[in-house]
Amino acid sequence: MITVDKLRKEFKKTVKEPGLKGSVKSLFKPKSEKVVAVRDISFSVEEGEILGFIGPNGAGKSTVIKMLTGILTPTAGSCTINGKNPTQNRQSYVKEIGVVFGQRTQLWWDLPLRETYGVLKEIYEVPEDSYNRRMAFLNEVLELEEFIASPVRTLSLGQRMRADIAASLLHSPKVLFLDEPTIGLDVVVKDNIRKAIEYINRHEKTTVILTTHDLADIEQLSKRIVMIDKGTKVFDGSIAGLKTQYGQIRELTFETGVANAAAVLEYAKHFSLGEEDVSVETEGNVVKVRFNSAAVPVSDILSYTLNKVSVSDISVKDADIEEIIRRLYGQGAV
Amino acid sequence: MKNIKRMLRIHRIFMAQEFKRMMEYKGDFIVGIIGFFLVQLSNLMFLWIIFGQIPDLAGWSVNEVVFIYGMSLIPKGIDHFFFDNLWSVGYFIVRKGDFDKYLTRPVNTYFHVLVEKIQIDALGELIMGIALVCVSAPGIRADWDAFRVLAFIAVIPFVTLIFTGVKTITASVAFWAKRSGNVIYMFYMFSDFAKYPTTVYNRLVQNVITYIIPFALTSYFPALFILKGENPLFNLGMPVLASAVLMGAGIMVWHKGIRAYESAGS
Repeated sequence: MITVDKLRKEFKKTVKEPGLKGSVKSLFKPKSEKVVAVRDISFSVEEGEILGFIGPNGAGKSTVIKMLTGILTPTAGSCTINGKNPTQNRQSYVKEIGVVFGQRTQLWWDLPLRETYGVLKEIYEVPEDSYNRRMAFLNEVLELEEFIASPVRTLSLGQRMRADIAASLLHSPKVLFLDEPTIGLDVVVKDNIRKAIEYINRHEKTTVILTTHDLADIEQLSKRIVMIDKGTKVFDGSIAGLKTQYGQIRELTFETGVANAAAVLEYAKHFSLGEEDVSVETEGNVVKVRFNSAAVPVSDILSYTLNKVSVSDISVKDADIEEIIRRLYGQGAV
Repeated sequence: MKNIKRMLRIHRIFMAQEFKRMMEYKGDFIVGIIGFFLVQLSNLMFLWIIFGQIPDLAGWSVNEVVFIYGMSLIPKGIDHFFFDNLWSVGYFIVRKGDFDKYLTRPVNTYFHVLVEKIQIDALGELIMGIALVCVSAPGIRADWDAFRVLAFIAVIPFVTLIFTGVKTITASVAFWAKRSGNVIYMFYMFSDFAKYPTTVYNRLVQNVITYIIPFALTSYFPALFILKGENPLFNLGMPVLASAVLMGAGIMVWHKGIRAYESAGS
């Protein structure tokens, strides 16, 4: 369905010295440097798949999405979606996709929401009867009825996002691009939106590409994730795969009467571990030790701890996906 | 043919949206209309004072000067009314990344931008222009045959596109420079030279506004034929040619610009 091959985007950035002086100087003697926002990324997506696209701020997620949706022209490489090249047959291509940028809206700001759908119907040439059926369907899934007559400017963020998603689905696209669709929303609304996305994916086999910072989105929706950082792909696979590949992190938590347990234990020194393999946090009586179970077996660290200090209430648990990703983001490229 | 029908349909729908939008804020709309008439009244008084002082100008009688002045306002008003959105491209649509929206819709981006907004204020220029032409024409001793009247009407759409073309080229600069509002402004302001007979300016200005930023072709040259019957081939042909060249160049630069468009971070 989607094939991305060595996609690359470079931007030219003017370099300015700070302050007014720098600005004036740059006006007469502009200096620019090349910034590679996306560095030869390749991946592919199957029909009906929901792909989670994650990475820290500024990693190049939006740039990739914008190239896939035909907004930006790639510097090199290619992407083919449903057999089409986004920048070459843009007009016929965009009829097959839906796009939502969580930070922007494509709704007519000053007019009642219904008006937007009326115009989009014409723009996408949706026939009258399928438009009516479609609106009924979207109404049911996204619950637009309560605010469809209100001007867009009066909608809450959650309503607006639902309205924007409905707008992107009006023409029954084969591929749906969602750039941070749950940004700034409360838990209940987030949950509703996830359910709607899942429902549409299941019922219409819509391929979905989703970027987000909320890993719950990913865990609930997508089986597969692509992670990028500094414009390079750092991971491509299932969430389970991510856990086995990077998830050797365990968290040991115990309560102890010993005042300076962390100093007494000195895990790093005892097991000669680097900073990235172990970290200790103390909060009152509770000590939390995060360690890499590939570097030091769980049993060793447990017995060492129990021997060294008196302990009540001890537990070891798997790191969750957030913990893994925090580690990956923190380290930069893996 | 189907394409044109669709474009007209979309145009009509966007226009309707615009009127609905204006009506959405009733107070603003009503005050806008009152303000509009006040501005027109003061413009009229200003022109009345100016033309009262001019007996004739570079061999043109006062009626002829008023005719040229009025004629220059008509295409300017039409362009301003329909295609004002190009200014927004230069000032913020590109800079803020709002151009993304047009690129994700199955409509030609240039067409979409052009027809999305209308500018009611432009009716001032249009009404004033028509009024000045109508007031001055009876006092001009020209051969008002059918061909000249027809030529006047036929040349208006073309010279309108001279305005649109200049705005399109300069607005497209924003795709590279991110912001080009002042570039549009600078070139657009040359259209003020079109209000008076071109021969009142010095040679350099004459050449610039005839061949480079050809606003003299929007009013003075067509008037040379319409009022004096001079050289129809040049005086009507050049405006038509210029409008085709400018629009062609504009659309080309626009589509080149889209490839350089960088959006904005989100």
